[in-house]
Amino acid sequence: MLTQRLANIVFTVLVIIACAYFAVVAQGFEAAGLLASSGLPSRFFPQLLLGFTALCAVAVLYAYASKGEAGDEGQTVFGSSAEGRRGLLALVAAVVSYIVWQNFGYIVMAVTSGPLLCLAMGVRNPVIYGVVLALAAGVYLVFTQLLGTQF
Amino acid sequence: MFDAAAVGVAFANLFDPFTMILLVVGILLGLVIGILPGLGPPIAIALALPFTFYMEAVPSLILLLAIYNAAIYGGSISAIAVGIPGTGAAIATVMDGHAMYKQGRGGEALGLSLTGSIIGGLVSVVCLTFIAPVLAQVAIKFGPREFLAISIFGLVVVVRVAGANLFKGLLVGGLGIFLTTWGLDELNGAERYTFGTYHLYEGIPLVPFLVGIFAVSEVLIGAEKALKRIEFDKTSLTVRIPGLKTLSRLKGNLARSSLLGTIIGIIPGEGAAVGAFFAYSEEKRRSKEPEKFGTGIPEGIVAPETANNATVGGALVPTLTLGVPGSPAAAVLLGAFLIQGLAPGPTLFDERPDIMYSLFLGLFLINILLLFIGLFAIRFAAMLIKVPMTVIVPTVLLLSFTGIYAVSNSLFNVGVLLAAGVLGYVVRKLGYSIAPLSIGFVLGPILENSLRQSITIADGSTAEFFNTPIGLGIYAALALTILWGPISTRVGGRTAGKAEDP
Repeated sequence: MLTQRLANIVFTVLVIIACAYFAVVAQGFEAAGLLASSGLPSRFFPQLLLGFTALCAVAVLYAYASKGEAGDEGQTVFGSSAEGRRGLLALVAAVVSYIVWQNFGYIVMAVTSGPLLCLAMGVRNPVIYGVVLALAAGVYLVFTQLLGTQF
Repeated sequence: MFDAAAVGVAFANLFDPFTMILLVVGILLGLVIGILPGLGPPIAIALALPFTFYMEAVPSLILLLAIYNAAIYGGSISAIAVGIPGTGAAIATVMDGHAMYKQGRGGEALGLSLTGSIIGGLVSVVCLTFIAPVLAQVAIKFGPREFLAISIFGLVVVVRVAGANLFKGLLVGGLGIFLTTWGLDELNGAERYTFGTYHLYEGIPLVPFLVGIFAVSEVLIGAEKALKRIEFDKTSLTVRIPGLKTLSRLKGNLARSSLLGTIIGIIPGEGAAVGAFFAYSEEKRRSKEPEKFGTGIPEGIVAPETANNATVGGALVPTLTLGVPGSPAAAVLLGAFLIQGLAPGPTLFDERPDIMYSLFLGLFLINILLLFIGLFAIRFAAMLIKVPMTVIVPTVLLLSFTGIYAVSNSLFNVGVLLAAGVLGYVVRKLGYSIAPLSIGFVLGPILENSLRQSITIADGSTAEFFNTPIGLGIYAALALTILWGPISTRVGGRTAGKAEDP
């Protein structure tokens, strides 16, 4: 199982890399025309924050990597492997639903996202699938008929 | 300062039939969402936000305030009936509330929580009505240096309250603020992190980001525990309002918890959950029989339930007067103001006093109606505890997707919602709180503008940068807030050490 220690170490390292990348990107910010000389440069605030965030990430990384004083020693990210699987599959289902909407439209997404999420959660009861589809139809009707949304 | 004409308009706005219907609908929706474990007030408000896009300012804000109030109360119903708090604010209620329920005194417990919630809510609205206009009059004189101090104070307090690890809170707070720097620079038009797409010219949109952070991340966490069944005994769900004798015995508890909740609400932070825990601890500390707390006594229900609803009015004080949200739910509420083209802050009291008075009056009415609706609806609403997560998860996700699209007609915003949800899910799984992330995202623009303007005003002089008596007072309060924990621990340690000495 993925421990909090390992996950936090990976996360903070990624944050530090991202901070460095965005700080470099910020060097290229250019103000338009006459406004260019007014006040502080545009990169000032983002770079200040990135430096601050990176420092905090280093402090968290240090706590997990060396001192082991982060308060969640021995704990895992997910309660069990089944919980982890369900959570991650639900995440994939949400992303797939968004892609389906982009490519096939709202109605196809609304019809498939519910069953996809149920599958991700390991639902076997057909009644649940039926209820979820009925609620999806309800959401569609509320937005199109009551609020006049066009998809 | 008092504008009788605006009060008249506020009455007319509030007693409009459509507004009244929305008020009742808001209370019912809030109760339902509050009862469902995991879906707290920020999610309830976030899910209702898209519907307010089509409404006038007063009805939309009344709907959301009704949801906010009722959702905080609703959390106590599942806390009492099944021992699972519907919201974070009801965690402290579980101990005595569920113990009472198991003793067959569920109706009494529900009555105490309803009465406490309403008294706490009403006291906080009185405080809001008197404090907010005065604070707005003071705040109208604030310049960038004062707003910078307030924003830093707000953010640091949120971080302190949100979790045990200070650096983790600061990290996500910094991340939230950083994300607000995306888009065109307001001061000089420079493109920042737009990655060549015009969608990002106005930056990351607030409403999809907040809905994603709260609702989508909760959906993904809910999916993990989706197959756990909730069983409960539905006997003893008839609410029994406490009699005058009981209320008289609890009057000190009610007064203290109301004021404590209001004060904690005013201080930016986690809001209701912290208020509830503070009030519970305070009553336990003051009690002559502290060992009875947790065994099912009225004091253990009244204290947290009074305080958590009192934080609503308190949280609205900085939100309405300074534009600094007092709680994560208030941060989402700020999004509703922006949808209506209103910028919460001191000038709003001058520009639209009718809206402000409508909100104050509306909150009074919400609390009073909550009593009657609560009395009749609890028994039926409590049945919703049995709705499985396998139904809630897909429905809330679809509602979030559809609602965000309906507001903006933009699939890009749905993408932002999803990305924010994934970010929220990851940071929550890694033990970070999302409160600093969301409040950082709301405070980011105020922080950047006030910092840049303060530096320009100071013109390189540190003395001039800090030449603000109000700002210095806020920085002093901030230092006290940061140092209070270590000082009290050290003092407590020494006292304990002396006591143990022979």
